[in-house]
Amino acid sequence: MLKFVVRRFVWTIPVILLVVFFTFAMMRQIKGNPFQVTERAVPESIQRNLDRKFHLDKPWYTQYYYYVKGVFTFDLGPSLVQRNQTVNDIIKEHFPVSLRLGMLAMAWALLLGVPLGLLSALKQNSITDYLTMAFVNSGSAIPNFLVSTLLIYFFAVKWRGTFHLPTNGWDNSIGGWKTWILPAIALGHAPMTIFARIVRGSVLETVQQDYIRTAKAKGLRWRRVVGLHVLRNSLIPAVTAAAPLLGFLITGSFIVEFIFGIPGIGRYFVISVTGRDYSVTMGITVMLSAIIIVANMVVDILYGFLDPRTRDART
Amino acid sequence: MRKRSIMLAGLVGLLAVIAAGASIAATGKSDRAGVLRMSIGAEPPSLDAGLATDTTSSSILFNIMDPLVRLGPAPALKAEPGAAKSWTVKGNVVTLNLDPKVRWQNGAPTTAQDYVYSWLRTISPQLGADYAYQFFGIKGAEAYNSCDPAKTNCDTLRSQVGIKAIGRYKLQITLTSPQPWFIQQLSHTSFLPVYKPIVDKYGNKFTEASNFIGNGPFKLASWKHDASLTLVKWPKWRLANTVKLSRIELPIITDGATAARAWDAGNIDVDETGVLPQDVPKYKKTAGGARKGSLQSTAGKALQIDPALGTYYYGFNIKNISDVNQRRAMAFAIDRQAIVKYITQTGQVPAKGFTPQGIAGGPTIDKNSFMPAIHQTAKAKAFMAKVANPKKDVHLYINNSPGHIKIATAIQAFWQQNLGLNVKIQVMEWKQYLQFLGPPPNADVDVYRLGWIYDFPDAYNGLVLWTCDSGNNNTNWCNKRFDALVDRATRTPDFDKRVALYQQAESILTGPNGDLPIMPIYWYTFANLVHKNVKGWFVGPTSVIDLSKVTVS
Repeated sequence: MLKFVVRRFVWTIPVILLVVFFTFAMMRQIKGNPFQVTERAVPESIQRNLDRKFHLDKPWYTQYYYYVKGVFTFDLGPSLVQRNQTVNDIIKEHFPVSLRLGMLAMAWALLLGVPLGLLSALKQNSITDYLTMAFVNSGSAIPNFLVSTLLIYFFAVKWRGTFHLPTNGWDNSIGGWKTWILPAIALGHAPMTIFARIVRGSVLETVQQDYIRTAKAKGLRWRRVVGLHVLRNSLIPAVTAAAPLLGFLITGSFIVEFIFGIPGIGRYFVISVTGRDYSVTMGITVMLSAIIIVANMVVDILYGFLDPRTRDART
Repeated sequence: MRKRSIMLAGLVGLLAVIAAGASIAATGKSDRAGVLRMSIGAEPPSLDAGLATDTTSSSILFNIMDPLVRLGPAPALKAEPGAAKSWTVKGNVVTLNLDPKVRWQNGAPTTAQDYVYSWLRTISPQLGADYAYQFFGIKGAEAYNSCDPAKTNCDTLRSQVGIKAIGRYKLQITLTSPQPWFIQQLSHTSFLPVYKPIVDKYGNKFTEASNFIGNGPFKLASWKHDASLTLVKWPKWRLANTVKLSRIELPIITDGATAARAWDAGNIDVDETGVLPQDVPKYKKTAGGARKGSLQSTAGKALQIDPALGTYYYGFNIKNISDVNQRRAMAFAIDRQAIVKYITQTGQVPAKGFTPQGIAGGPTIDKNSFMPAIHQTAKAKAFMAKVANPKKDVHLYINNSPGHIKIATAIQAFWQQNLGLNVKIQVMEWKQYLQFLGPPPNADVDVYRLGWIYDFPDAYNGLVLWTCDSGNNNTNWCNKRFDALVDRATRTPDFDKRVALYQQAESILTGPNGDLPIMPIYWYTFANLVHKNVKGWFVGPTSVIDLSKVTVS
């Protein structure tokens, strides 16, 4: 196991280097001036001053060297657009917010999605199954921004007398839990529907297996069979889906963060590119890659616990 | 079933939590009086007066700092004393007498040396200030800014810049030419000072709330990046007894729809993020605190519309659409009134010429301009008939935004139906669009869309765009006579004589015998939502919001 983890860590380095290279190349291709924000043209002398200040007047290989050096010394440079902030500042301040939002959304998705999927599968083709799947499928058809807007309109405006939920904002301290509810539900909604359907399919398949029939025939209580045998064997597809989903939830929450006015890192993925803030784009792309790599590694380790067969295959 | 009961328990638990939240009395409405909650539409990129370029940063800086001058009521927008209590102008030399009562929020006086330090810092090549160009009217500023510190020692150039402190409270500025609008220009954020001790101590971090020291009516109490800012009244400001607000909460709500919902729920008093066109009909009827005298008669309603000094226009690439009669035909074929009434919907005014009517002398300047408010098909066709080789295939370039797309679609229809032109709309992403327009514009551009917001309230700021060497002239148009008129205005302090020069220049631009390199469409407005318990809130024509005069009951 230890050898496996170490090997994975070592492989991270070339992957990150590749990510940095591709991001750098792509940012160069799309052109555009980071320093011209409005239609006002930037006078020549000022453009020169800015290019000089941010090393944009150097040849591309020098700039690339600065970036790579920055990544490995954890100094991701200054933001080109937010002139009093560095990329490290931005990540340090906004990543914890997105992390909490992503984890809460994941919690909502699992707490609601897995039981719903399980329930549907165990009561296959009953009215419970049909109603649950109708809810899940219609839910997955409604896009993120519509769910967000509807949640705000109903729970924070129309029925605010009952629920007292805020329309926007995010307070990352424990006292601010009321600001977490609607965004977590909005962001966790689509993953919830994914988990429900995956678990349903997986449970349906597991329940058909011989060893389940044997367990039932042996006289084991159905509850024990489900809890111990069915669930454990059905969760592998859900775990496979969870890893990239977690990466996406933590970082890809642009729409929910935008609509709820949440100071997370998700928005920066879009605004740093449209604003041509090269250092921020590079910094958060590298961060996202690292997160996905770690998430995938965690999943692989989890496999080892869930399915002993993979453990043996690995060593 | 164990799993089902667990799930049921989970759902019941969740509902219990929500219900518990509901049973806790709402805390948001404690002590509303004297506290203004205003949403802003973006995270301020910087609160360093030398680096701030956008309207959000400017609005905040205007209230935590004490500007040298403030602009008086429209339309004259005359410069009124602020941190500068009086001034004298002799030829190219402007002398400002600073008010000794102006103090930094730690008690130290704001002196002329503060301004010398701050302005030289903004002009310096090292800072890389976008708005250093605001100072280029000062002798030696552009030369110092163009210096490359890696190659030469810039100190000599620095000492030659025409900004000097004469005694503690006298600031002497030597300009390159009289520039009669210079005093009004001093109301711009770029001319605010920064406090040297905190810049030295905290470096780039001096704008954080725990470090910042301003000299204005409010203190920057907190700044949670991307989330909110809080300002509190500074009781020692020189005019503190006139300030009625004790605290200002500025949540950052970028989404216009969410800001409107927050306003509906009573979570904010003013929605400064901006109203979406689709919400306009509703808020024209909702009760609120819009002031009398806003552009549209929505007094007492939620929707407040304030005129802005800015013009939305289409520019022609005159290399491609070379016949002026075709340009006149295209300008006459569109219905500006319909565009502002049905598409933009927030009280914009169909533009008669390029210079907005809100500029002092605006109506006189635009007297000969002849952009029609409603389309005049017969005249348009008549112009078109005079064109020897009309350009039938027109490529219209715009940047990606729902509003611009709608307007372009309408204009495409007007040109198609009235002039038989085959118009193709090309939508581009903003930064690539700007590069595409140059100048000089890419050869494929026949018509393009842009807007201009005035830096200071003098027609010069808009007319200078169309001079031959302007970096903002994407039309390939160059008229020496126009350039000469605009240049002469920089040396004409007499207001009426200057207006006469502007009128001539504007005629060359948008008059019946003019070249019409651009086609103005409408003049901008600001559209916001105001609660009825807020008084004295409005956006000034240069997008400045003065919170020292606002009351919340």
